[in-house]
Amino acid sequence: MKIIAVCGLGQGTSLILRMNVEDVVRELNLDADVDHMDVSSAAGQRADVIITSPQLAPLLAGHKARVLVVSSFLNKAEIKKVMQEYMQS
Amino acid sequence: MFAFAQWLANNIFGQPAILIGFIVLVGLLVQKKNSNQVISGTLKAIVGFLIINIGAGAIVNALNVFQPMWAEVFGLQQQSLTNFMGFDKFNSQYGGAVALIMTFGFLINVLLARFTPFKYIYLTGHMMFWTTAIFVGIVLDSVGATATVNSWALIAFFSVLMGLYWTLQPALTQRYMRRITDSDEIALGHTAASVAFLAAVVGGVVGNKEQDSESLKLPKGLDFLKDSNVVISLLMGLLYMIGAVIVGAKDTPAAQALVKQAGSNSFVLYALLQAFNFAAGIAVVLFGVRLLIGEIVPAFRGIATKIVPNARPALDCPVVFPYAPTASILGFLGAFVAALVWLIVLGKTVGYVFVPTMIVLFFHAATAGVFGNATGGARGAFIGGIITATVVAWGQWLMVTALLQSTIPDTAMWAGDSDMFILGPVVKLLGNLFKFLFV
Repeated sequence: MKIIAVCGLGQGTSLILRMNVEDVVRELNLDADVDHMDVSSAAGQRADVIITSPQLAPLLAGHKARVLVVSSFLNKAEIKKVMQEYMQS
Repeated sequence: MFAFAQWLANNIFGQPAILIGFIVLVGLLVQKKNSNQVISGTLKAIVGFLIINIGAGAIVNALNVFQPMWAEVFGLQQQSLTNFMGFDKFNSQYGGAVALIMTFGFLINVLLARFTPFKYIYLTGHMMFWTTAIFVGIVLDSVGATATVNSWALIAFFSVLMGLYWTLQPALTQRYMRRITDSDEIALGHTAASVAFLAAVVGGVVGNKEQDSESLKLPKGLDFLKDSNVVISLLMGLLYMIGAVIVGAKDTPAAQALVKQAGSNSFVLYALLQAFNFAAGIAVVLFGVRLLIGEIVPAFRGIATKIVPNARPALDCPVVFPYAPTASILGFLGAFVAALVWLIVLGKTVGYVFVPTMIVLFFHAATAGVFGNATGGARGAFIGGIITATVVAWGQWLMVTALLQSTIPDTAMWAGDSDMFILGPVVKLLGNLFKFLFV
């Protein structure tokens, strides 16, 4: 499974999100490859799941990947919740 | 044995790309990553590093059209942007030193967090990279490009300096971070700290805390501003074209020489293309940095959590935006307006062509906006933006003309920012004080 963590510029914030997603992936024992980038680069990338903020999610509306929204990139409980919901869907 | 050490020095330590690959390889092995991840991580870091140089070249070429053009607009003597190393050359020679300073500086940060009350771990990798590069550029400029520099002394000096900065800067802003985030769990690790701090202090004095920015409603339909490629292309496109129109209408021999650069084509469209090249160069550099830092920071974080598990992560500035999004926009608006004003003032007074650095102006002003709002409401946010543009405009002038002319003024013109500008003179002073160590 390919997951992309997305923020506005693709430099620092999405990397923090990516590291938190990687921690959650490990906790949930998922086989996933996590990357991070800005929203424009993400638009052209193949992925199963994109995780991003409520402000950027609309910009990825047409993407083939499932776009999951988290209000905080630092809250691992929230990340875990949206990932579990996705896995069950 | 000596021959092997010499071989190591030339082929590993002297080749930044290889050295960085080596550092990342060790970091990945320490994290006990599988062979897949070790191979891909190491190669991504190396390639990312080399991509930076490619982008840097494009930016320099575009700036070499922007500077002379606007110098002519203000009727200045040709700004000598010649005789400087340029980031690609600088990175090829000192990129390895920068990587080592980042590594040792980070370790010093971890030690300070472990043994002092300043429990902060700086995790904003790309700012570690740029701040280190700029400061090294300043010291190398004052030492003189032709002097042979003792690399290990240089690395030791900067590792201590940066380790201190990365530990203490988050401490400076934590008081306001606690107020903004309503907790004490995260800190700010970003070079916007100085203008954010100033915004909070000034906001407390002249702001109106009663009118919080989040109670205001700002117009939507500004979604296109969310992409840095778009914003830079638009702003620089406008500036390049305006400059080209003014120069095209001028009669001076310098103006005519500039117009000839377009050959038989329209000078205005030629200039516009340079603006897009500028944006393209920045996009490439950001891509390279992302690849590189994406491998370095997880390794750093892994080490830090083992040694100082109760430390606060000092994070990239956007972490505060969600707490006061309108404040961040207000800050940016204030900075944008002030930046254009300073562009004209700097050209007309000290004869410097200010390059309005959109990325810096946005992120720093937005952060200053949030901090200014915390103490002074909407007015504090807007003033925070004005403070930011003032520091960035005059800071760029000072740094490019007096602090690193011979090394990387090109980098200062698009990546130079608040803390770098304010601490730059301090670094130059310290570099002179400790010059005996390196030369």
